[in-house]
Amino acid sequence: MHEMGVVIEIVKIADAKAKEEHAHGVKRLVLQLGQLSALVPELVEACFPAAVYETLLENAELKIEVIPANGLCLKCRQVFHVVENEFECPACGSEEWDLLSGKEIIIKEIRVW
Amino acid sequence: MCSTCGCGASGHDNFEHDEHDHDVRILHTMETAFDKNNHIAFHLREEFKERGILVLNLVSSPGSGKTTLLEKTALAMSTEYKMAVIEGDQETANDAERIKNTGISAYQINTLSGCHLEAGMVQRALPSFDLDALDILFIENVGNLVCPSEYDLGEDYRVLVLSVTEGEDKPIKYPGIFISSDIFLLNKIDLVDILEFDIEKCRKYLKRINSRATTFEVSARKGTGMDEWYDWLRSAVAQKKQK
Repeated sequence: MHEMGVVIEIVKIADAKAKEEHAHGVKRLVLQLGQLSALVPELVEACFPAAVYETLLENAELKIEVIPANGLCLKCRQVFHVVENEFECPACGSEEWDLLSGKEIIIKEIRVW
Repeated sequence: MCSTCGCGASGHDNFEHDEHDHDVRILHTMETAFDKNNHIAFHLREEFKERGILVLNLVSSPGSGKTTLLEKTALAMSTEYKMAVIEGDQETANDAERIKNTGISAYQINTLSGCHLEAGMVQRALPSFDLDALDILFIENVGNLVCPSEYDLGEDYRVLVLSVTEGEDKPIKYPGIFISSDIFLLNKIDLVDILEFDIEKCRKYLKRINSRATTFEVSARKGTGMDEWYDWLRSAVAQKKQK
């Protein structure tokens, strides 16, 4: 499991951003995690309380938005969910597609006061 | 009085601050947790480009045959190219010792509880090598099909070694790392019949998960298919030298 290291890094970034803004604290942190990223939302949530200790995020609420793994079929241009369709375009059966989303690990929003 | 900020409002706790007149601001950022790693990887890539060193990041499950593949590659190509290996394992220097026995330089990184290599680790390993006299740098990542997929090491190609002992459906079980790889080496193909491994099914899954990747079917131990792999390496080195 490498979530702890990644969550500590995320908290460090958010903490630094909040300090730059001269914030008193962070109320909410919104993360976007792609379905195909190597982070499991439940494990990120489990790590969060330990990672925020003695930072401006100590009382912050963590919100995780899971970004679906969508692909664009290169043959018929259909956008489809690659995992649910077992990596095959449901419209034309093509196995050639580009991943549009699903690998994200993004700090989307830091709500400070 | 609010204990968090000292305002005069009462009857609310820390989490109800939206309810009254505080300066709540939303900082929109689109930073990733890997910006620091990617920054180091960017500089590594610049350095490798300047020196014309081909860099391969080998990822796989533990026991797929990465070290044997590198031993054989080192022995077969050491007269043509100067090669070096960075070995990533949680513990022991066994793999680096095996590589050194072939006559090429190797540097062992022990990640201890860490489950992947990061760009900073590669950067710290570089002073151990004579980079001016190097054509190919192999980075053998920690055996793990999940975490290494998130970490750019400044490589030219991510090479995923899949052995037939792992089962045909690995590509769709661990899609993230298969999607982010450039080369698939299907290893231990001498065991296909013994294991009743459905190679057609595996080929289908590999193509379906990543139609752009190039696949080589090899047995590092027996030498089957290795010439194609060596030819590809030669062309990749030539291409890198031209950049």
